[in-house]
Amino acid sequence: MIKKSLTLFATLGAIAGFVVTSPAVAQERSVKIAGFGAKSGVVRVFGINSEAALKAALEQINNAGGVTLGDGAKGKIALEYYDDRCNAEEGISVVRRIASTEAIIAVGPTCSNVAESLFGILQKKVGDSSDSGLQFPIIADVAAKGGLAKISEWAFRNVPSEFEMYKSLFAWVKTQYPDLKTIYGGVEKDFAHSNATFGVIKAQAEASGLQLLGQGEWLLNDTTFSTQVREMKRANPDVVAISAHPFTTCGVLKEMQRQGVKPKLLIGLTSSSSIETLQGCGVQAEGIVIPTSFAPVTPEAVKAAELVAKFGGSADLHSAAAYEIGFILKNVIESQKVMGKPDTVAADREKMRAGLAALKETDGLLGKVGRTADREAIKPFLFVHAKDSAWKVLHKPGS
Amino acid sequence: MSYLHFIDTLQSIADGVLFGATYSLLGIGFTLVFGVMHKINLSYAAASIGAAYASLIVLSVVKAPAIFIFLLAGLSGGIIGFVIYVVCFRFIPQANPLATLMSTVGALLLIDEIIVHATVGIPVPYPALFSDVIIDAGPFTLRGDLMFMFALGCLSMLLLLALLYRTKIGIATRAVAQQPVAAQLCGISIPRINGLTFVITGVVGGIAGAMIGAAIGVLSPLLSLPLTTKGLIVTVIGGLGSIPGAIIAGLLVGGFENLFQYFRGVTERDLYVMLLLFVFLVFRPGGIFSPAAGRD
Repeated sequence: MIKKSLTLFATLGAIAGFVVTSPAVAQERSVKIAGFGAKSGVVRVFGINSEAALKAALEQINNAGGVTLGDGAKGKIALEYYDDRCNAEEGISVVRRIASTEAIIAVGPTCSNVAESLFGILQKKVGDSSDSGLQFPIIADVAAKGGLAKISEWAFRNVPSEFEMYKSLFAWVKTQYPDLKTIYGGVEKDFAHSNATFGVIKAQAEASGLQLLGQGEWLLNDTTFSTQVREMKRANPDVVAISAHPFTTCGVLKEMQRQGVKPKLLIGLTSSSSIETLQGCGVQAEGIVIPTSFAPVTPEAVKAAELVAKFGGSADLHSAAAYEIGFILKNVIESQKVMGKPDTVAADREKMRAGLAALKETDGLLGKVGRTADREAIKPFLFVHAKDSAWKVLHKPGS
Repeated sequence: MSYLHFIDTLQSIADGVLFGATYSLLGIGFTLVFGVMHKINLSYAAASIGAAYASLIVLSVVKAPAIFIFLLAGLSGGIIGFVIYVVCFRFIPQANPLATLMSTVGALLLIDEIIVHATVGIPVPYPALFSDVIIDAGPFTLRGDLMFMFALGCLSMLLLLALLYRTKIGIATRAVAQQPVAAQLCGISIPRINGLTFVITGVVGGIAGAMIGAAIGVLSPLLSLPLTTKGLIVTVIGGLGSIPGAIIAGLLVGGFENLFQYFRGVTERDLYVMLLLFVFLVFRPGGIFSPAAGRD
């Protein structure tokens, strides 16, 4: 009798245990994603901000119950973030390492030169059996050089189109400042992003009727700009457009102040609409106009900025893209019925790629974000200007 | 050449020579260590920038006028210099020059990464002393801050030369540089002199780092590598171990650099500076003031 009772008790216990543990296991299921960017070296700030933004977004998602997986179970999204040092070889190595884990997608990288090389090792066309390229989806958050996602059908970007931004900016300049006739450019020649964007700025400025009087060139780690600014002063342009990152932007602005160069309008590079510029040369940057895809002007954007700060980062046009990507991935995981199991990793990666490719529109912090056929984003943007050592919204196109 | 081009050419040379004073100080640091120990300290420029960063921290704690930043940077540089000596030279076999060289490469990367991690890579504003002073000298304009840096650089060089040629420490240092065995037999402690050399060069480097920070108005970890390259070029052109050579070569490199930039643009500038180095290596491999063997 006792033996029978014990057997019954053990059986009931086992059943109870199974019933109790099964949902627990389901609750603990996690969908693994990876992030990667520059977390060391001189552009470390980008990686820190991206990681913080991704963590902030994932915390929101996981605290709200996580994601619904293909079998109806609930799962959490787990993030592992890697450092690529803004180095192409390191970036390729990091992604190969990520591809050997259970991560179903990677978010990154920081630098365009890394993205360009990295997307080159991915399979060019999905389903091409003759192409042995890596079959792993990657969505870029920061790498800003235009058109990179074209390289592979496994590559996606949630990066603003600088072509559209500067086209809109110069159209606005034409209506707001019809008396401006000439422009002088300044470009940080050895950085892919600033150099490529200068081409866009130059083309759009000329298309809007401004006459290019000349351009000064310098390198990313240059310290003196007297020669370039002297030529700029002699050209006496109405507009000066500086396509450079904060360190040299500040150097040039300070030299312009020393030599008394005061253009009627100052235009800057998207990446310079950051706190670094204000910290380095807030006074000299006063009035500079920059197009950006992020400013805390909507309730969602304000909340995102607070959450990113909580994770030790700063929300700007680059990291805001990473924040948005967190929610894009949640939707794709759910719509594509991703399983999030060790034996479904390859299938889940294909589902993520297909899901991202099928997107026509996503939710962004400043409004709806369109998706192009070549896997790029069309993000809403606005123009900010430096005023009293802070970035203030100057104009919102379409408003 | 039009009048405007002539004026611009002279202006480029003047700006370059004034900024070149910082290259001279860096060159002195490289050359002094080489002169005394016959070793290259590749972490020197990074340590100089590190000292400038450290001076900012000290200045934020000790409320003193901004002008004291040069003194603080010098003191910080001395401390960092001594630490580098202990870590990279004191206990590493001197007979293995590659080991000390590689350890200084490690120190360079370490200092750079410490700066990057401490500042998240964001450029930090540095007190830009006399940056608003512009001296109009006829058709030229001379930046007050660069003039001040140049004067400070010259003063530092004179003090260093006085230390080396007018004090017992200087005599001991030169004795170790010329005949280490004889110096040891005379009772001079070689490790002590070597350590002292690193402190002295650290002080000079710290002042150079502060001068660079003040001239730009911003400090960035981006500065370490180009300044290391410039310091080495200055050292080779000036002549390894020659202090007057480092001074002249620093001003020369600064002037030529700006001149090349004016005539050939920024993308070719460094190419021509390297060509200048090759010309010296081919036609005067010992540098401008190559010291006679065994003598300074």
